[in-house]
Amino acid sequence: MLNTARINLRLFWDGAVLSYIALFRWLRPSTYIASKVFGPLVYMLFFVLLGRYATGSSDASFFVIGNAIQMCAWSGIYGITMSITGDHWDGTLPYVFGAPANRLIVFLGRAFIHVIDGYLGVVLGFFWGITLLGLDLSQTSLPALALVVLITTISTSGLGMLLGCLSLMTRNVMFVNNTVFFGLLLFAGANVDVATFPGWMQSISYALPLTRGIQAGRAIVAGADLSQVSGLLSTEFLFGLIYIALGYVLFRWFEKQAKRRGTLEAV
Amino acid sequence: MTLKTIKAYARAVAITFEITLRQNFSDAFIIFAVIVQPMIIAILALWMLRDIGGDIGIFVIVGSGLTGLWSGLLFISGNSITGERWVGTLEGLVASPTPMAVIVFGKNLANVFQSLASMIASYIAVALLFDLRITIEQPWLFAASLLVTVVAFICFGLIMAGLFVINPAFAQFQNGLEFPIYILAGFLFPIAMLPGWTTPISYVLAPYWAAVALHGSATGSVPPAEIGFAWLMMLVFSLVYVLASGRIFRIVLRKARVDATLSMQ
Amino acid sequence: MNAIQVDHLRRVFTTNVGRFRRESKEVVAVDDVSFAVGDGELFGLLGPNGAGKTTTVKMLTTLLIPTSGSARVGGFDVEHESQKISSTIGFIFGGERGLYWRLSGIDNLRYFASLYHVEPAVAAKRIPYLLDLVGLKDRGNEKVEGYSRGMKQRLHIARALIHDPQILFLDEPTIGLDPVGARELRLVIRNLQAEKKTILLTTHYMFEADMLCQRIAVIDKGNIVALDTPEELKKLVLDLSVIEVEVFGVQDDLLEKIRKQKFVDNVSVENRDQRQILTVQTPRGSEAIPDLMAIFDGRRVGKVTSREPTLEDAYVRLVGGDA
Repeated sequence: MLNTARINLRLFWDGAVLSYIALFRWLRPSTYIASKVFGPLVYMLFFVLLGRYATGSSDASFFVIGNAIQMCAWSGIYGITMSITGDHWDGTLPYVFGAPANRLIVFLGRAFIHVIDGYLGVVLGFFWGITLLGLDLSQTSLPALALVVLITTISTSGLGMLLGCLSLMTRNVMFVNNTVFFGLLLFAGANVDVATFPGWMQSISYALPLTRGIQAGRAIVAGADLSQVSGLLSTEFLFGLIYIALGYVLFRWFEKQAKRRGTLEAV
Repeated sequence: MTLKTIKAYARAVAITFEITLRQNFSDAFIIFAVIVQPMIIAILALWMLRDIGGDIGIFVIVGSGLTGLWSGLLFISGNSITGERWVGTLEGLVASPTPMAVIVFGKNLANVFQSLASMIASYIAVALLFDLRITIEQPWLFAASLLVTVVAFICFGLIMAGLFVINPAFAQFQNGLEFPIYILAGFLFPIAMLPGWTTPISYVLAPYWAAVALHGSATGSVPPAEIGFAWLMMLVFSLVYVLASGRIFRIVLRKARVDATLSMQ
Repeated sequence: MNAIQVDHLRRVFTTNVGRFRRESKEVVAVDDVSFAVGDGELFGLLGPNGAGKTTTVKMLTTLLIPTSGSARVGGFDVEHESQKISSTIGFIFGGERGLYWRLSGIDNLRYFASLYHVEPAVAAKRIPYLLDLVGLKDRGNEKVEGYSRGMKQRLHIARALIHDPQILFLDEPTIGLDPVGARELRLVIRNLQAEKKTILLTTHYMFEADMLCQRIAVIDKGNIVALDTPEELKKLVLDLSVIEVEVFGVQDDLLEKIRKQKFVDNVSVENRDQRQILTVQTPRGSEAIPDLMAIFDGRRVGKVTSREPTLEDAYVRLVGGDA
C-alpha cells in the first residue's frame, strides 16, 4: 500500500518535472527566464493599449485583469499539450503505455507543473499590472483573488489536457493550440465584455473555461468578497473537472485504439 | 555582372518563388499565422474599437492584415535559412552557384506575397460579422503603398533570416518580437499612445512607415505628401537592408563553414 | 593538372559540452591528409566510420573550411574560390535528407537545375535523361516523401548531375540500401566512370572500393595509412593467410589472448546471426590451426577454414581489426 503510494508519487514527479525540462531544454537558462518574465508583459501591453485606445480612458484595469488571468492559458494550453504530445515525438509513448503505471497519475503529473507555471504567469501579469499599468488592488481581498486564479488556472489547464489528447491524433498540434489560444483570447472576454456578444458567441464563451474566472477576478479586484463570486467559481471549477475527465477518457481511448491498431508510433 | 548572370538569377528567384509557395500551401502553421490569427485579431479589435466610429472598419482590416504580414515575415521568412538547415537542404543551396541572398529573396517574395492573404482574411472576418461601410478612400495610393510595403518587408526579411542564423539567441527571441512590433509600428492604435521615448524606435522600423502609408491611404486621413514620405522611408530602409544583407550573408556563410553548422549532424 | 589536389588538410571540431558550465572540447576529425586525383579517375577513400571521410569530402565541396592545409578542386582553392568551384562539382552525402519531400522528384530537379544556372531548354532534356539514368523514369511526378530510401538516394545522384559537373563527390552513396538497390547504384557509378567524370567515392565497404576504384586511399583516425591501386594494396598481405573460425559468443579476454599469440598478426570479429566469424591473419597458414584450437580450450567452435588473403584482409591489417 505504502509502496504503491511511493511508486505513484515517483511517477507523478517524473511525469511533471522531466516532461517540463524536456519541453524547455532547447532554451538557454537566461533566455528561458527572460521569456517567462517579459513575454507576459508584451502581450498585456498590446491589448491594454488597444483597450485604452478603444475606451479613451486611462483606467485600463478591465483589460489588465483580463489579460493577467489569460496568462494561465499560456502554460495551460501550450505547455500541457506539448508535454502530452512530447512523448509522441520522442517515440517514448509505447513505454508509458507498456509500463504498468497508473495512467491517471501519469496524466495528471504531466499537467501539474504547468498549473504551477500558469499560476506564476498570472501572478507576474498582476505584478506588471500594478507596477506599470496602474492597477489598484487596495479594495481587493488577496486570498480570494489567489483562489480565483488557482481555480481558473486548473480549469484552463483542463482544456489543455483535452487538447493534448486530441493532439495525439493529429499532426498539426501547433495549429490546434494556436487556434484555441487565440479563440480563448476572443471568447473568454479578457478584452471585451462577453455580455455584448450576440447570443451564439456567448454560448461559446460560457462553454469555455476562463470566461467565468475572468469575471470573478474582475469582481474580486473591485472589492467583492468570495461569497459574491462563489457561483461563478464553482461553475468554473466544474467545467475544469469536466474537461479533465473528457481528456482522461480520450487518453485511455487513444491508448486502446493505438494498441489495437498498432499505431503507437505512427499517427 | 553579365546579362546572362542576371537572367540566371531572375530565373532562380522565379522558381524559388514557385517552389516556396507550393510547399507553404500545405503548411498548417503558415495558414494559422497568415489567416486564422489575423482574423481573430480583426474580430477582437473591431469589437473593442467599434464605438470609436469613423472609418474603423477599414482601419482594423488594414491593421490586422499588417499583424499577419509581420508575423508571417517573422516566423516564415525569419526561418528561411534555419528551416533549410532543419530539412537538410541548406548544404545543397550553399554549394550552388546562386548566391544565398538571391535564394532567400525568392523565398521572401513568396512568403510576403502569400502573407497578403491576411488582409483578405481580415476583410472577410470584418465584412461577415459587422455591418460596416468599408471603402478604401484612395485606392491607387493604397495599391502603390501595398507594393512599396511588400518590397520593404521582403528586404527586412533578408536581414532577419541572416541574423537568426548568426546567433541562435536572436532566434530564441523570435516569439518575443511578434507583439512589440504590433505595438511600436502602430498597426491597431496610434503610436501617440506610447511614451515619447519609443517614438524614435518606431521611426526606424519599416513596418511603422508601412502602417502610415496603408492606414493613411485607406482612410484618407493622411495627405498624399506624407504618404509619399512614408514610401521614401520604406525605400531607403529597403536599400540599407539589401546592402547590409549582402554583408550579413557573407559573414553568416563563412561562419557556418568554419563552425560546421550548415548541417545538423 | 590534377582534378583534385589535397595538401596537409586538417580539420578540428570544437564542441560544447555541459549545460550550465559550457566547456569546449576539441576533436581532430582530419589530422593530416594529402592526396591527388587525376582527371577522369575514380578514386576511393576507404575507412571505418569516424575515420574522417565525410569531413574530408565536406572540405573539398567547400562546405567546411579547413583548420589548416589547403586543397584545390578543378584548380580552385576550396576556401577562397568556393563560388568558382560550385558549378564544376556535384556531390551527394549518403542518406535521405537534403531533398524537398513535399515536392515531386521532377520539381526537385527543376529547382536545382535553376539554382545551377542550367538553361531551361537544356534542363527540359536533361531531367528525363537523368531520371532514366537513376531508374526513376516512372516515379518522377510523385512526391519524394513517398519514395523508398534507395529511390531518394538515386534522386540525389540525379540532383548532383543536373549541371553535368566534371567532378563528383559521392560520400557513402550506398549506405543503408538493400543489396539490390546498392547494386543498381554501383552500376550507375560505373556508367559515370565511362563518361570520364572525375569521381571521389567514399565507402566503408571494401568490395565496393575494390570493384569500382582505380586507386584507393585508406583513411584511419584522420590520416591516410595507405594509398595505391587495389592490386598493390592486396600485396600488403601476400605474406599472410587467413583462418576463419565460426564461434558462438566470444569474450573479449579470449580475443585478447589470441591477439597476443606470436603467430597471430591480426584478429577481427564479424557478427552473423547467432554466430560470429573470427578472422585470424597469420603467416603460418593452416599449420596454425591446432595452436589456435588449443587456445579455445574445448569451447564450442563451428566451421574452421583457411583461405588466401583478399583486399578486405589488407584493409583489416591497415586499420587494425576495428573495421
